[in-house]
Amino acid sequence: MEDFVDGVTRGNVSQVKTVLASIVLALALYQVLLMAVGYGKVRLPFLKPRAASFAHRAVGDAAVAVGVFVAFLCYSYFGVDDGIEHARGEESTRAMIHVVAGSLFVLAVVAKVVVVRWYRKADRFLPAIGLTLFALFSVAWLTSAGNYLWSA
Amino acid sequence: MSTSPSYRAQLIGSFLAAFLIIVLAVAAVTAAIGPGLDSTELRERQELQEERQEQREDQLDEDNSGPG
Repeated sequence: MEDFVDGVTRGNVSQVKTVLASIVLALALYQVLLMAVGYGKVRLPFLKPRAASFAHRAVGDAAVAVGVFVAFLCYSYFGVDDGIEHARGEESTRAMIHVVAGSLFVLAVVAKVVVVRWYRKADRFLPAIGLTLFALFSVAWLTSAGNYLWSA
Repeated sequence: MSTSPSYRAQLIGSFLAAFLIIVLAVAAVTAAIGPGLDSTELRERQELQEERQEQREDQLDEDNSGPG
């Protein structure tokens, strides 16, 4: 699997991961804005709630697909134990936070998909789940791509 | 009184905004990271790794060829 990831990214695993994760973070921020319009918390003269909600769904599908691919790159190339083990000193704490936030993010994605597609009774929790997703991804980004960009 | 754009125009505008966000994110991050390995560098790196592997194997053969 490592060879496959190395080949797909042409040996630039961290860089590709950083670019893709940053795209997802930027889109996640946009998603929060779209849903603020969708729920009527923000009123814009050029965008109505119905269109904002539809765009949120479509952009979200794309962002989740990219996010899951980033998680695949991360897990298959660095792994969980290796990632934490190879990080030294304060780095191991960062790696641990990244692993926990990333894993919880994947669980929150599953929870949101389940609520949206099959368990509409829990609709009222969607804003909370969405904001939790955004917060978890932000933490995962800060402890990986953000850290990489700061040290670049 | 101003009227809001049609539903289709709102959707197209939203998707264009998402596309613009992606382009800006890619531009900002790649500018910060700098150029990665190109195919020539990658090939050179692979050749170097193979060369080192062969050297290691030769060394191992030499070490094991003594009386024992």
